[in-house]
Amino acid sequence: MTYSIIGRCARTGRLGLGITTFSLAVGGRCEGIAAGIGVCKTQAFPNRTNDPLGIKLLAEGFLPARVMEMFAANDSEHDYRQIAIMDREGRIAAHTGSGTRGWSGHQVDTDCVAFGNGLVGPQVLAGLIAGFKTRPDDALEYRLMRAIEGGRDAGGQGNATTHKPERSAAIKVVDRLDYPDIDVRVDVHPTAVEELRRVLEEFKLYEEFYRERGRHPSKAIPQDVFVANLKARRAQEPTSLPPHALRGEVPT
Amino acid sequence: MTYTVLGRCHRTGRLGIGIATFSITVGRYCYGVKSNAGVTVSQAFANERNNALALRLLTQGFTARSVLQQLMENDPYAQYRQIGVIDRSGMAVAHTGPHTRGWSGHVVGENYVAFGNGLVGPDVADAIAKGFLAEPDADLEHRLLMGIEAGRNAGGQGTRERHKAERSAALRVYSKDAFADIDLRVDLHETAVEELRRVWNEYKQYEAYYRDRERNPSGAKGQEEFMKTLRAAEA
Repeated sequence: MTYSIIGRCARTGRLGLGITTFSLAVGGRCEGIAAGIGVCKTQAFPNRTNDPLGIKLLAEGFLPARVMEMFAANDSEHDYRQIAIMDREGRIAAHTGSGTRGWSGHQVDTDCVAFGNGLVGPQVLAGLIAGFKTRPDDALEYRLMRAIEGGRDAGGQGNATTHKPERSAAIKVVDRLDYPDIDVRVDVHPTAVEELRRVLEEFKLYEEFYRERGRHPSKAIPQDVFVANLKARRAQEPTSLPPHALRGEVPT
Repeated sequence: MTYTVLGRCHRTGRLGIGIATFSITVGRYCYGVKSNAGVTVSQAFANERNNALALRLLTQGFTARSVLQQLMENDPYAQYRQIGVIDRSGMAVAHTGPHTRGWSGHVVGENYVAFGNGLVGPDVADAIAKGFLAEPDADLEHRLLMGIEAGRNAGGQGTRERHKAERSAALRVYSKDAFADIDLRVDLHETAVEELRRVWNEYKQYEAYYRDRERNPSGAKGQEEFMKTLRAAEA
């Protein structure tokens, strides 16, 4: 009962993970992502030791396919795991064990892999991939968000008769730094995908302010003033001004 | 406009962070904790590079005091930062730069740092420390949450006249693994401390189930079946 996308931005080399599931606080189980190294995510009945180990093996220089072989040899319950691995060059390995429940599978495409279990069917994976590819020049976090929404709109989790709610969700994107550029989460919510979109949009408004405040503290305006400016701009344009406009960017 | 408790469990050596602030998605700054290494948070005008550097230094074996000194010597804006560090032995240190805004300060003891800026006064930091120390043998996540809630109850952020809302909060605890034992967040909420308590109360019911499902998948119940047992227990 999870659907996820790992993606890479071919322009910038940024790497990211988008995920949503019925289980709570899934973002707390997404440590397998490192700038300039790769992404590794184990789900279904996850083996928590896989993801940190996978990142170390990718950093040593092993190929994703080889890492997957080592996972299989290292885990007596490998058949219950669903795993996707991407390295910094966009090479991908994926595994959907026969012991995962409900409709389960993965779909590999250029610079992305969609994978999920407990889904209504393969159309969810197609929805994830299509969402990711809609606007290939957008920032990776938006492409991941659109992918998750594409999976949700294709039916998401559950079966033909019952939808299973997405209760938690997360997006992480790394660029070149030790810590993620983007790290947004929803831990317990009845419609976590919608809530994640809200959190992401809000965070994008603050992103540059937070970065600049840390780098040039002597020039930083107080956050109160920043928030008041935001409010004023929203009041000017009450018809849900899109975030890129609030940031002063020209829509593409 | 942040208050934080860093803690180490004297019984188990577990390490953790509890934090609440006006800024959104504060959990993303809380990666500075690692099993058998230490725990650190840089806040106020946060130097985002500090946590990764501090963790590497702690892993190499530098003491908390030495790590803090190196962070400050590496930063032309150290006067704007507020930093707490605990090493694996429990040595705890903190720095509150004179250019942090509002009432700012820290309370430090063996195995803990309670610190914040933009607070209503020193009683908030004192309350956090007191909340953390109230049940010294309880699980670390419980103690960290008690610390944060005590800080909120003492007035939290803002001034005596005007409370500043906690819009995000996080709770992270590491034990012996390469991944967190507890990693919970509230990224965007009007009362994030209350929401963090709700998230924790909800999550803790599932904690053992999730762990067991991962380790023994062949015998695992479906999550909905598990939830039925939860509801039955409630009724």
